[in-house]
Amino acid sequence: MRFDVLELALIAGGLTYLWRYVPLRLSLGDMPKDGILARFLAATGPAAIATLFVAEMLPMVHDTQAVQGRAGVGVLAVILAFAWRKSVVFATLAGACACGAAAALGLW
Amino acid sequence: MAQERSSGLAGVQAVIPLVLGYFPIAFSFGVAATRSGLSPFEAFSLSLIVFAGAAQFLAIALLASGAPVLVAGLTLAAMNLRHVLYGPTLLQRAGDHRATRWGWLWAFALTDEVFGAALGAMAKGQRFSETFMVILGFGAYAAWLAGTVAGAWAGGGALDAWPAVGAGLDFMLPALFLALLLSILTARQVPAIVMAAAATVLGTWYGSATLGLFAGMIAGALVGLFGRKAGGTDAV
Repeated sequence: MRFDVLELALIAGGLTYLWRYVPLRLSLGDMPKDGILARFLAATGPAAIATLFVAEMLPMVHDTQAVQGRAGVGVLAVILAFAWRKSVVFATLAGACACGAAAALGLW
Repeated sequence: MAQERSSGLAGVQAVIPLVLGYFPIAFSFGVAATRSGLSPFEAFSLSLIVFAGAAQFLAIALLASGAPVLVAGLTLAAMNLRHVLYGPTLLQRAGDHRATRWGWLWAFALTDEVFGAALGAMAKGQRFSETFMVILGFGAYAAWLAGTVAGAWAGGGALDAWPAVGAGLDFMLPALFLALLLSILTARQVPAIVMAAAATVLGTWYGSATLGLFAGMIAGALVGLFGRKAGGTDAV
């Protein structure tokens, strides 16, 4: 194993673990539910997931028409599948399958 | 005891979507890693030590570009800085059931998807427990490692003959994020979501992808400061 890969993994992995663990030790869960920090944190989850979704989609939006088209099909499939079954896994797999099917059929 | 068994069962039920979603994404990571010149063991080591999907894909690009290791490592760590807010958010939602005795363990596996799944389960009435978090986190971790091994073993050219499968796998991560977002969507969160999306686009366009991630998360969370007081669910 190359040393630079191990070094990179240890730096990124070690710091990521600290980001995830240290805040648990700071008793931030004791805050009042209607407090500023509580409202800030309540909005963080949806904001983080929305951010990651948009960040994942942006390269596809700037890609070829074919990629844009199948990404659109995938998004539509996720929304429809979730509306139907209210299942994260079903919606995820439906989106990926729809995107793959659109590519296979050469719809764009 | 019965409560722990119930939490364990709930954890198993909640982790199944993550396992099914993580395996193919990790498979495509293994393929991409070996395609870029990493050995299967190196790809596996990244998954074993880092366990952060988007950061691992970025790690491949940074290694391939020859970026200095310290700079690359700190870039990846900065990208994951958003995870600072996940534990406290879950504990705040946990209310009287919050516990951190085993936090050193389940915090390791507190990825975006695990956080989203835990939040979604709690929004549907699941009581917070450390057993639930350990099963959820390490079930996802096992799937991530297994998928990486399978992808690395298949090799860099595994999907060349199957472009449609590759296209589907490429869409797996955004599909998972969108599904997670839909699962926790409430009317109260819409302003934060819209602000996060807008800030991500602007940050990415006028800065970089990493700046876009930070801008989106911080802007969206800041909207929470000016929103209505917590209390209801206002489901969409």
